[in-house]
Amino acid sequence: MTTLPPLTAVLVFSGLAALTAVLGAAPQAFGRPPPRAMIGWANALAGGLMLGVAYTLLTEGLSGKLIAAGAGALLGIAFVRASHAVAGTGELDVDRLEESAGAAGGYKAVLVEALHAADEGVAIGVAMAVSTPLGIAMAATLAVHNIPEAMVLTTVLTRRGLGVGRSAAVAVAVNVNQVLLAVVAFGIVSRVPGSLPLVAGFAVGALMYRSLVELLPESYHQAGETSIAMVTLLAMGVVVLLAGVAG
Amino acid sequence: MNEVLLVFGYALFTAIATGFGAIPFMFVREVSQRFAAYSAAVAGGLMLGASFGLVAEGVGYGRGETLMGALLGVLFILATQRLLGEQDGQDLVFEAATGEGARKMLLVLIVMTVHSFAEGVAVGVSFGGGVTLGAVITIAIALHNVPEGIAISAVLRPQGVSVARCAGWSVFSSLPQPLMAVPAFLFVETFRFALPYGLGFAAGAMVFMVLVELLPEAYEHGDRAQVATLATASAVAMVLFQQWL
Repeated sequence: MTTLPPLTAVLVFSGLAALTAVLGAAPQAFGRPPPRAMIGWANALAGGLMLGVAYTLLTEGLSGKLIAAGAGALLGIAFVRASHAVAGTGELDVDRLEESAGAAGGYKAVLVEALHAADEGVAIGVAMAVSTPLGIAMAATLAVHNIPEAMVLTTVLTRRGLGVGRSAAVAVAVNVNQVLLAVVAFGIVSRVPGSLPLVAGFAVGALMYRSLVELLPESYHQAGETSIAMVTLLAMGVVVLLAGVAG
Repeated sequence: MNEVLLVFGYALFTAIATGFGAIPFMFVREVSQRFAAYSAAVAGGLMLGASFGLVAEGVGYGRGETLMGALLGVLFILATQRLLGEQDGQDLVFEAATGEGARKMLLVLIVMTVHSFAEGVAVGVSFGGGVTLGAVITIAIALHNVPEGIAISAVLRPQGVSVARCAGWSVFSSLPQPLMAVPAFLFVETFRFALPYGLGFAAGAMVFMVLVELLPEAYEHGDRAQVATLATASAVAMVLFQQWL
């Protein structure tokens, strides 16, 4: 599928995935901020893709080492919970951000996205270590995922007075973590193959927890339950399809 | 013993094992709204994890077919919801509950019972490979059914259903397993063709149910972080448990 050396492939594909965030600023650039329901669907799309990624890692990345994978998943949950506790971003809600004036809200939104990108990077790195096609499929999934995520972030930032260009730049910048962590995770798993189930488990725990604590609860407030469930399921189906293309 | 009777007996045993899922609820004295929320989170996580297992098995037989089945599963739930909704709120009675609570219990029971049809076919088809591994497969499926019983009881118990009746409904939801296992065992080739659709159907119906009923309920009455922790841990535990089997 690619003739690039593995580490370069990690850099290129995770970099491309990070860059797609710029597309999330499109509704703002055309001067039409997305309606509330669309933000909900964007959150659900992002959340469903996360759950799909967790499915892929759970079915392809554990190599039968279940205790290590379980420990990794608990570590992943604990990592996100601890990062929320430290950053004070536990119950962040885009709607409530609108109400709470001041720089703190925007700062928290950026921080949440930056932390989020870290686990996604781990997922790309792990998938690349399993196989390059799976890694590319994972990067493609997260590239799609980054667009609705960036749409939500740029909406928050532009409503707080930041220009569209700068909002888009911030949306891409928060994904730098993704590239960095992709390389680190790939490096660790390549050097110490035995760490794969633990690292994959970590990514699964963190990503599932994040989608259930950040993306889905918000989305239910923004659009109806039935449409949110449909969009989430559709996104999960897309990931299952993509994993099939990766073979 | 007759092979068909043997397959039926094994599959019946796996159905009865589902009832054991009600046991943890014997130790719960008081059922508060918060307890109901966290039960829904656990049930949702277990069902999500179970669906991952169904899809992983289904794509082994056919990826497109599994996804097509999932779509049909979603349509099935939408149709069932509409049908139950037409009973108009308070008129609907199930166990001790009326209205919304009765609707939720019925939906979960219907979903879990329907998904057992697909699982029954899976059991029969795998038996079709030879009865020698029968005991191992049976123990695996029986153990696999216990957390499904937990998921069902976690929805029924907070609505005031007794532990014994939770166990009874759990077993009921698994009865299609022995019923479907026998024809699938006898006509392996025909059923092997239908299997990915069935597994996909079950997974689609279950995930949709989790997203449209269980998670919104959990978020409404429970703390967001606890709901996410319980659901994630339950889902991962279910997947790992199934892989271990």
